[in-house]
Amino acid sequence: MTTALACLLAFPLAGAVLQAALRPKLSRAASGGLAALAMAAALAAALAGVWNLGPQPVTVSFGQWIAFDGFSAEFSLLYNRLAGLMCVTVAFVALLIHLYSAVYMREDKSFARYFCYLNLFVFFMLVIALADDLVLLFLGWEGVGFCSFALIGFWHEELPNVDAGRKAFLMTRIGDLGYVAALGLIIAASGSASLTGIAANAATMSPETATLLGLLFLFAACGKSAQLPLSAWLPDAMAGPTPVSALIHAATMVTAGVYLLMRLAPMLAMAPVVGAAAAFVGAATALYGAACALAQRDVKRILAYSTISQVGYMFLAAGCGDDGGAFFHLQAHAFFKSLLFMTAGVMIQAFHEEHDIFRMGARLRKALPGLFILFACGAAALAALPLTSGYFSKGRALADALAHPGPIFLLSFVMGAAAAFLTALYVFRMLFVAFFSDPADPAKLVSEPALRRMERPLWPLAILAVVYGFANPPHFLGIPALLDSYLAGTVAPLPPETEHAELFVEILDALIALAGLWLAWVFYKPARHPAPAPAGALTAGLGLDAFGLSAIARPYLRLAAWLWRGLDEDVLDGAATATASGVGRLSRAAARLGSARPATTMATLLGACAILLVWLAARLG
Amino acid sequence: MIVPLSHVLAVAALLFAVGGVMAAARRSILLILIGVEFMLAAAGLAFAGAGLAWNNLDGQAAVIIIMGLASAEAGLGLALLVHGRRGGGTDRADSYDRLGEES
Repeated sequence: MTTALACLLAFPLAGAVLQAALRPKLSRAASGGLAALAMAAALAAALAGVWNLGPQPVTVSFGQWIAFDGFSAEFSLLYNRLAGLMCVTVAFVALLIHLYSAVYMREDKSFARYFCYLNLFVFFMLVIALADDLVLLFLGWEGVGFCSFALIGFWHEELPNVDAGRKAFLMTRIGDLGYVAALGLIIAASGSASLTGIAANAATMSPETATLLGLLFLFAACGKSAQLPLSAWLPDAMAGPTPVSALIHAATMVTAGVYLLMRLAPMLAMAPVVGAAAAFVGAATALYGAACALAQRDVKRILAYSTISQVGYMFLAAGCGDDGGAFFHLQAHAFFKSLLFMTAGVMIQAFHEEHDIFRMGARLRKALPGLFILFACGAAALAALPLTSGYFSKGRALADALAHPGPIFLLSFVMGAAAAFLTALYVFRMLFVAFFSDPADPAKLVSEPALRRMERPLWPLAILAVVYGFANPPHFLGIPALLDSYLAGTVAPLPPETEHAELFVEILDALIALAGLWLAWVFYKPARHPAPAPAGALTAGLGLDAFGLSAIARPYLRLAAWLWRGLDEDVLDGAATATASGVGRLSRAAARLGSARPATTMATLLGACAILLVWLAARLG
Repeated sequence: MIVPLSHVLAVAALLFAVGGVMAAARRSILLILIGVEFMLAAAGLAFAGAGLAWNNLDGQAAVIIIMGLASAEAGLGLALLVHGRRGGGTDRADSYDRLGEES
């Protein structure tokens, strides 16, 4: 087991190091092959690990790396069934993304740098998935942040890309503040920062501490997972290459936040406030993302807002204490979202870097029918058409919310259901406009054999997107839920109320999805020649960016300017200068006594003599 | 000695103060020199009075030394004044400030 885990972590890291070391010598094919090989080996190691894993979690330690004053941080891994499945999911999706990238980046000159970062990205994500020690997890957490910065700003010759990378880096960094604070609190409170230790001490932890820690970790998770209020970076993260978006959205960075909440479940169970906050934030974000996706024209931005919205459902499920459901949606989302992103990448290349869905149209479907089928599989799963993976997993999250007592959860359910309707609407808007419409201003279609080669790695994802729901179908269908039974000892069991709610929710969800499909058809059927909506509040992400600018950035700038101009220069420097010039004036006055004119010199001399004599006289008399 | 020493010292102090104020307050080098001479004369007077009071000739010797010193000083000072005037200078002490920092 130790060997499997060591291999799992070592292969992507070795791949990245080799790419960096051999960069001048590697040909394009060798580079892509090496990266994909590293990922395939990691997937094999992950599968081997899961194969040997029982219901009991395994802890492995590779030694200590920080120790002071009774606190020690170790390279320790906590390998339970959740982590095992997470590693398999990450490695599997990442492998397909690597294969796809090898073709997608066929004309890029920095392919070695690209694959190096890609491997490193997966390595850090696997560290997050496996780490037991929260300090080690933080290492992965920050590493993922760095890789996202490097990959979003991958085409660094153009400033907007660099800005997008920087934005992602800085916004997630704001969330990391919560992580660091929580880490400090945990170390101060318990002297260790390992997940196993937290789980063991969760019962003895005071509820206030647990709530505070939970809220701080939730804030960190919101930053990484692009939940409100820290979600503005994700739509801009589209500046990077499309496979990177697929990796960030499906397998690595964005899911890290939810996964952190799942790993901390024993502690969060002690703090119901955090669960309610997570559920509410998740549902609100789901609604926000879906609403913003409705108005976008850029296919990648639609998918980005859709990710924000779908991760909201995972937060909803995790907030209701149903980690199995959250993980189920995480997996389903990983499959269909990476599929959608990679098909979007093919669409964009087919029109030679055209992102606007209103310039694509039916020619694309006729030219690349396989691509249409792939996209339709992903879209069906995202819109939660009945019996697809997204249908079951999203329904599970909504059922959790409905079954959970409390008005907050009911409100979350209503928001989630509304978001589900909007989801179906924007997904089919995207599908109909991009694959059926007759555009007014068509882009030029190019035909390359590489486009068809890129479709190949996507078929497994398409199949999974459609059928993966049956790994964990709701109870009333009577099919054994494999995922739930596999995770039975690892996560909290599903409460019976949820099982009762499932039937109602699944029927409602199916109706909602079909209603969204129908409404999208009414608005965007090809006969209507749909036109894009004019730019408005929704196009701009409901003003979240503007709000961030006006409410946070500008006051901060003003404050900084005031601190600099007003406080620092005027008050502090002024005080220093005034002191100096005062001393200068004093010294000039003293100098004038002795050097300005013979008269004053003489007067000083005589005055000093007089004083001396008077003093002597006073002493002697 | 007819006059008590304290009177002699009082006159000497007055003379010294007059000389000091003159040296400090006057602008002209010539008058500053005269002020200095006053101060020297006051010191000489104090020496002479004290020599008489204590029946000690050392005081009178000191008076002679002071006279020599004063004449030498006056000669040197006047020579400097003449030299300065020849070089286009004035007899204002304040205008000889080329060594000062605030020129």
